[in-house]
Amino acid sequence: MSLEEGIRKGLRIIPIVDKEIRQLVRDPKTILMVLLMPITVTILFGYGYGGKGAGKYPITVVDLDGGDGAFKFIQELRNSKMFDIKAIYRSKGQGFSSVYSGRVYASLVIPETFTEDLTKGRPTRVELYYDASNPSVAQMIMQAVGVVTQQFQEWAADRFGTFAITPMFYTVYGPKVKKIESFIPALMAMILQMVPTSLISVSICREREKGTFEQFIMTPVSVFDIIFGKLAAYFLATISDAILSLFTAMLLFDVRLKGTFLDMTIVSTVFLLNSLSLGLLISVFSRNQLQAYQASIFSFIVFMLFSGVLVPVDVLSSEARLIASFVPMYYFVTAFRSVSLKGWSYLMVVDQLTTMTLFTVAFLVLSLRFLRMEVT
Amino acid sequence: MLELERMGELPELAVEAKGLTKRFGNFVAVNHINLSIRRGENFGLLGPNGAGKTTTIRMITGVIRPSEGYVRVFGIDVARERKRALRYIGYMPQRFSLYEDLTVEENIRLYGRLQGLTGNLLRERVRELLERFYLWEFRRRLAGKLSGGMKQRLALATALVHDPALLILDEPTAGVDPPLRRKFWEHFRELNREGKTILVTTHYMDEAENCDRLALMNRGRIIAEGSPREIKRKALGGDLVEIVLEGDLNPMELPGVRSVLEDSGGRYLLIVKDSGRDLPRIVKRAEELGARVLLASPVHVSLEEAFIRFMGESE
Ligand SMILES: Nc1ncnc2c1ncn2[C@@H]1O[C@H](COP(=O)(O)OP(=O)(O)OP(=O)(O)O)[C@@H](O)[C@H]1O
Ligand SMILES: [Mg+2]
Repeated sequence: MSLEEGIRKGLRIIPIVDKEIRQLVRDPKTILMVLLMPITVTILFGYGYGGKGAGKYPITVVDLDGGDGAFKFIQELRNSKMFDIKAIYRSKGQGFSSVYSGRVYASLVIPETFTEDLTKGRPTRVELYYDASNPSVAQMIMQAVGVVTQQFQEWAADRFGTFAITPMFYTVYGPKVKKIESFIPALMAMILQMVPTSLISVSICREREKGTFEQFIMTPVSVFDIIFGKLAAYFLATISDAILSLFTAMLLFDVRLKGTFLDMTIVSTVFLLNSLSLGLLISVFSRNQLQAYQASIFSFIVFMLFSGVLVPVDVLSSEARLIASFVPMYYFVTAFRSVSLKGWSYLMVVDQLTTMTLFTVAFLVLSLRFLRMEVT
Repeated sequence: MLELERMGELPELAVEAKGLTKRFGNFVAVNHINLSIRRGENFGLLGPNGAGKTTTIRMITGVIRPSEGYVRVFGIDVARERKRALRYIGYMPQRFSLYEDLTVEENIRLYGRLQGLTGNLLRERVRELLERFYLWEFRRRLAGKLSGGMKQRLALATALVHDPALLILDEPTAGVDPPLRRKFWEHFRELNREGKTILVTTHYMDEAENCDRLALMNRGRIIAEGSPREIKRKALGGDLVEIVLEGDLNPMELPGVRSVLEDSGGRYLLIVKDSGRDLPRIVKRAEELGARVLLASPVHVSLEEAFIRFMGESE
């Protein structure tokens, strides 16, 4: 067969995907951005917002007694190094609301007669109102309170004679989730936006900058081949990113997500494709790699501000809400919250998924339209 | 073997450019040039830095759009039917343009696949090119780690992967040592013999002597065109000859003489219309006039000399 007869027409996507993946794998920046960054960010978030941050559980204490016994008990709680006492109140109402609002995991109530009971050697009790929506943390707190009470009891028995202090446990339902769990959508939004967008945003302009584009466009590749070849390659490289981050959060911080893995992956994938398409569009319009990075970071900041990650969109001004409606990350955060925290199926967030996909299609169409098969 | 060849012959003109112009803002990099490169020819484009050679070549390969004018490659309009035209063009840009983070073999393979080769044919073609350009032992080396000469060999191999009928080489021997430069030109001649048309730019005048035809560019215009010999003739206004004789005569009386460059007591450097035809007539006439001719021979003029003269004139 002659060379001429062997020459195939049609798409050139597969060789482009092959090439891009080889280049990605050989670029140390990829390892850094795709593997290290998501894990680092997840861990930072975990320690920053996760309950176990300093190894202490944030609680409040309601001291109805006000006597030496209560004072001593509170000291014992502090000494145990297991609690971070956020506040000491005089009324139960304040204690409850600290749990309801989700600021702390539990509130410990020391009853009015505590010191009196103690000095008279009468059995007494402490009451722990804990947030049951967080069973694993609640378990730990109950154990810790049990330990402290035990120690206190031994100390008191030495001085006031044998008696018993019974810890009583009451459940309170705070807002369904808090701390690290509530940050998971934000975390995923960051990881699925920042890394893929900035990684792919240099992919075309780097070829222009290094001059490889001049040889590349001497082959019968089309704009379509280039855009979809790069999209596919970077998708394969960054999807691991999303899954890895989820696993890191779940393993390290005992995050209990209600959503199924499939639902969360579907929502993440839709947003990942959106981030990559945006990155491609940036690459099409950037003159060099520096410009592309700057544009990626700028888009990231805008997205963070208007996606409800930092401030809920509902409390923003109407202008800001209008901007938010043009920010794909807003739809992702909404959808991912519902799926991961409320356990919804992806079918229930199909509106958000559709909107994100519309943005993706728009970014891709613009990329296809404006990618010039020319140098300079 | 090529599509057009199978249907008959490739057209006689490999490259035809008319009124080709490129402006960058107000600056005119290429100014209404016309070019005709015949099939099978080795055509050299010469000119000082910034003359507009690369810009011209980029318009021929279609990687930049002309501001005015058009280019046809084997009759195909490059701006309108670029994909079809690309089938016939192999291009080696001035700057190394392959992927430095891919190996030698991966680069050639990638371009083979992008050109549409697959399977055994692709494998064989890659192997053939690796061997032909002495790259086989370096095939697993990253392109970025190659020496300058090896990079150029790789670029040439890649440009040839789809067996193009027209090779466009922008300073293929820049930064290449003299033995390898010679080797490169042997390759070019061989490719010429295979029937390929070559358009090459260079700053080395000794290389340009090897071209069938040359075009001299300066400031975006073509200031001279022709075979190396024709170019030299045009630069001087004729051929340069040296005459040494005994006796007294006015050199302007000799036939064919256009001007006298040097007259130092019997030794003359003359410009004649055509040395081959005029020299015997000069000898004859001088002897008729009573002089004894001791030496009459054409003088080799370097292309460089001609080049510099043209440049001076065009300023
Ligand atoms: N993209 C561009 N924008 C503006 N000016 C340009 C551009 N490309 C080339 N030029 C200018 O056009 C002129 C011709 O450049 P070109 O690269 O074609 O010259 P050349 O003959 O190839 O030179 P060299 O021998 O140095 O390679 C130069 O003055 C150059 O600065
Ligand atoms: Mg040049």
